[in-house]
Parts: sequence; C-alpha cells; structure tokens
Amino acid sequence: MNPLEHLRIAMDALAANKVRSFLTMLGVIIGVASVIMLVAIGEGAKTYIRQELMGIGTNLLIIVPGKTETSGMGHMPSGVQKLTLADMRALEKRATLVTAMTPVVVSSAPVKLGNRLRNVQVIGTDQNFETVRNLHVEIGSFISKADVDASRRVAVIGRTVKKELFGESNPLGRTVKLGETKFRVIGIMETKGVTLGQDIDDHVFIPVETAQEIFDQDGLTNILTQVVNDNAIDRAKQQITQVLVERHAGEEDFTLVSQQAMLSTMQTILGTFTYVLGGIASISLLVGGIGIMNIMLVSVRERTREIGLRKAIGAAQRDILLQFIIESVVLSMVGGLIGIVFGAGVAYGAKAFFPAIPIDVSTWSVLTAFIFAFMVGAFFGIYPASKAARLNPIDALRYE
Amino acid sequence: MADTPLIELREVRKVFVTGAIRYEVLKGISLAVERGDYIALMGPSGSGKSTLLNILGCLDAPTSGHYHLEAREIVSLSDTELARIRNQFFGFVFQSFNLMGRYSVEENVALPMVYRGLPRRERLQRARALLARVGLKDFNRHLPSELSGGMQQRVAIARALVNEPKVLFADEPTGNLDSKTGQEIISLFGELNAEGTTLVVVTHDPRVAEHTRRVLTLTDGAIVKDLRNGMAA
Ligand SMILES: Nc1ncnc2c1ncn2[C@@H]1O[C@H](COP(=O)(O)OP(=O)(O)O)[C@@H](O)[C@H]1O
Ligand SMILES: [Mg+2]
Repeated sequence: MNPLEHLRIAMDALAANKVRSFLTMLGVIIGVASVIMLVAIGEGAKTYIRQELMGIGTNLLIIVPGKTETSGMGHMPSGVQKLTLADMRALEKRATLVTAMTPVVVSSAPVKLGNRLRNVQVIGTDQNFETVRNLHVEIGSFISKADVDASRRVAVIGRTVKKELFGESNPLGRTVKLGETKFRVIGIMETKGVTLGQDIDDHVFIPVETAQEIFDQDGLTNILTQVVNDNAIDRAKQQITQVLVERHAGEEDFTLVSQQAMLSTMQTILGTFTYVLGGIASISLLVGGIGIMNIMLVSVRERTREIGLRKAIGAAQRDILLQFIIESVVLSMVGGLIGIVFGAGVAYGAKAFFPAIPIDVSTWSVLTAFIFAFMVGAFFGIYPASKAARLNPIDALRYE
Repeated sequence: MADTPLIELREVRKVFVTGAIRYEVLKGISLAVERGDYIALMGPSGSGKSTLLNILGCLDAPTSGHYHLEAREIVSLSDTELARIRNQFFGFVFQSFNLMGRYSVEENVALPMVYRGLPRRERLQRARALLARVGLKDFNRHLPSELSGGMQQRVAIARALVNEPKVLFADEPTGNLDSKTGQEIISLFGELNAEGTTLVVVTHDPRVAEHTRRVLTLTDGAIVKDLRNGMAA
C-alpha cells in the first residue's frame, strides 16, 4: 500500500477530532517552542557577551590585587599588599611582552555643577587608557601624560554626565566639582552605552594620582595591560608574575585575568545555562510525547470497531501499525512545526525588546527540534499502534 | 478445475478457552462451498454459526482441521497473505453495518480498494458504480448517519462487492432492519446470486432461507441438517 494513503487516513482521523488533536499536540508545541526559544536567546547572549568582551580591548591581561583560586571573574581582594603605581612602573620596564598598560582606580563620587548633581563612577587612569581599553574621547582631549605627572584637576566626562549636567551647552573648559574638589572639563567620551553591566556614559575620568589623592588611596583597583599578541599571553603572565612576586617580598598576592579566561568563563556559564534550560524544555517535549501516547491509546480503544472492520476488508497488521504510527508522527511533527514557528516568533519578539542581543534562530536548532519531534511521535506511537495491529478482528468487530 | 469446490473445510474444530473453561464451539465441520451457490446458515443462538462464518471468511483461524481455498491450504498462511485473501476473495456484511461515520458513503464503499492499492480516482469511480447498483446513486456524498438503516446496509453490501469477491459473507444482515427493508436486502441478495455471486448468509429468518439454494442447520457446533433446494443434499 502507498504510504501516502496511510498519510491520508491519518490526516482524516486527526481532522475528525480537531480540538483533541490540537490539545494533544500542545505538549510538543510547548516543548519545541521552548527549546527553539531558549537556544536562540542563549546563543544570542553568548554572541553578545563575546562581542562585548572583545570590545573592551585586545589581548587584555588584567592585574588585580589579592589572590583567587580560579582565574574567572569575581575575586575578593584579601587585604594583602596593594598594587601600586610603582609596581606598574617596574612592569613597564621589565615586562617586555606587554605593549601598553594603564592604571585604574575606581571610586564613586557625586559630581556637581551649580545645583545639579549626579552620582557617578570615577575612574582614575592615565594617557594609555584610551588605547588599552579601546574607549575614546569624542570632543576635546583625553587625560595627557602631563596631566598625570602634574596631578592636574582635569576631568573627561561621559555622555550621560554631560547631558545631565550641561544639557546642550558646551562643557569644555567649564569647572565641575567632584566631591569638594574642582575639576576642569577637558573632554567628552564617545557614546558607548552599557557594556557588561557598566554604563560607560555615566563615568568621569581623571588622572590617576589625582584620584588617589582625592579618594585617599595609595593602591590601584587594577592594572590593565595589553599583551603583544594572544600567543604571548601565558609568557606575559609569567613575566608579570616574576616582576610582581619579586617586588611583593616573594608573595603572589595578585591575580592575572586574561580577556580569554573571562570570555571562556562567561561562555561556559551561559552555555551550561542554555543546555540546562534546553534540557528542561526537552523534558516537556517528552511529556508531550507521553501525552500523544496516552491519546493514541484512547483512540485505539475508541476505534476498535474501525480496526476490526479494516482488517475484515483487507488491512494487514502492518497496515494498521503504519496507520497509527503515522497518525502519531503527524501529530508530533505538526506540533513540532507549530512549536518552531511559535518559538522563533517569541525569540524574534524578544529581539525587538533587546536589540543589542543578536538573537537568531539557528538552522541546526530547527532541524534538531524537527527530528526530535519526529522521533517522539514515532517512539510514543509504537506501543499504541502495535496494540491496534494485534487486535483480533473478531473481538474488534464485536467490541461495543 | 470447475469441479473443485471454491472452499472446502475438513474436520474443522474451534475451541475457545476462557480461563479454566475450554469450550468447543465447532466440533469437526466438513463442508464444501460451490461456486455460484447461495447458502443459508441457520440454527439456534450460540450454535456456532458466526464462528463458522468467520472461519470461512478467514477472519478467524480454526483450532484444527483443513481449509482449502480453490484447492490451496490456507491454514498456515501469514497475516499479510490472509489479509490479501479477505481483501480480494471475500466480502463481508455485518448485522451492525460497520460503516465509518467520518467517511462519506462513496468513501466507505471505496475503502477495500485502498488496501488493494487502487488509485483514488478509480476507487471512487467504481464505488459510485456499485452504489448505483444497490440503488443509492444519489447518496454518494452523504454521511452514513444521514441514511436509513436499510440504506446503510446497502452501502455495506456495495462495499462488500466492490473488489468483485468470490464469496459474499453476511452475518444476520437483516437482524437490525424492519421486515420491509429486510425484504429488500433479501431480494438484492437474490439478484446478486442470479448474477453469479456466491453467498453464505447466517440468518434466523425463515424467509431468507426460502430464497437460498442450500440450507445448513447447525446445532451445538455440528451440521445437523443440509438441505438443497428444499431436499436433502
Ligand atoms: N471469542 C470467543 N471466546 C469465547 N467464546 C466465544 C467466542 N466467540 C464465540 N464464543 C462462544 O461460542 C459460541 C458460539 O458463538 P457464535 O458462533 O457467535 O454463535 P451463533 O452465531 O450461532 O449465535 C457461543 O456460546 C459464544 O459464547
Ligand atoms: Mg452470531
């Protein structure tokens, strides 16, 4: 018998019970839709994180005070020796694989202009920051070496700070107050938006020693270094470690975090997250399959007489088996298709709300979902179908 | 081979086992069905008429004994081969018409041809011709539920005939019909037999038996009477 005939029989049977067929598919629809959706959003988030992390510079190696066990993110300085500008000077001389480095002192303070006030992140740094951190001044100029050397009270402000304090007027050459200290505005940063949870536009940049002075700190929050190329990262780590350990009385009381390590940690976390959620969604696909099996069993029971009749007029066991398996496969594949469309719809809908995240429904996730739906239908159809196929035609015809 | 019977049963027994109870429903039936014959199977309720008809129609297998269809032993055939025999050699008519409610009348009639592998267009063409033959040419597209009982049984007969079977089996075909429509079915059977169709009909109705060529009476799983044209065969 032609397989298309089986398909027609299956479609007729499903069409005869439209509401029930749809409700039966619902499990698969939800399962497939959530797999598609979660994988799309998860992959989008991974791409987003990679882009953002790559955007903060090239071949970065960050030195933070305190020793942590892992090379990941989120470390707690354990109150050991500080990282100082003198450390950085030493590194500039001896760490030959580092092409550029810049100190960073982070604090927060209110910035005032007249009666306008805004609480901002203040970054104390030097003239290399622009290169190393890949952040640039748009109007005016960035902190210069002379500014740093003379501990000048000059500030470069982010876009949001500019807008909030100055509105449309030109801030260059004007004076603002950081805490109680007056600063002259020398530049405005380019718009960058939120990167990795930091709103760069809401920052104020000042010379590093000035920052140490007004915030009364002698250490650095971290040192950003740029390694000559990404093959040299491990050797650069060794150089830096050697220099710093020597200077810190033999203690390795600092941590080196490479951009790569941050990236792979984030990717691993997000990847695990995606797969766990995808796994949970797949379970709902399985539950959907069990739902199909359940309804198919009910359907076989209801259609006992039909099965008996079909056998009496010439259907072989194989025909009945195929009829019911195809019915269950059609249920799950149509459910899968609806689920794909629905899941993709939600994913692209989410894109409208988070335009920064490059959400994309990948071909492989669609294919996987489709194949999965097929297998769920075939697998959970086998038992009811073989039950139907094995019915004795006499008993089936007598069945009330 | 005009003289070999169409169907020949020899010493056919059928035993049903329900739990600890072993119930011998057919106790060694030997029977030949000739081409073109018209046989009534009569006897009290529970005597084994339906069981015998089902075995004749290859819907059920005998517990022991021989079944020859055109001189070929079929007891050991596979499910697929038996299905093919039911499809191409036999037609069945049941007491409760067993039409598929979600299919139109013509689709019901065409159903056996699905399993024969005929293309849809040809199936529907033949189905319509058969519906015309049983006097239902204006009802092709109706659903069975829109038809009276007598009309539904005629749809079932058209379905049973659609593959040009060698034998038409009917199990109490008039049992669910009033006597007038029952009479119409009986005369339809008479016409079919006159056109050459072999029929085996289980019935309680003496009026049916009057029209047949041969009357077999079963009691307790054995043939106790075999009359041909009113005379002992
Ligand atoms: N599948 C079965 N299992 C057990 N007993 C059965 C089965 N089919 C029929 N019987 C029994 O066999 C006997 C004959 O049944 P049947 O052939 O239907 O008789 P009839 O058609 O002459 O009324 C009855 O007693 C019935 O209960
Ligand atoms: Mg009976």
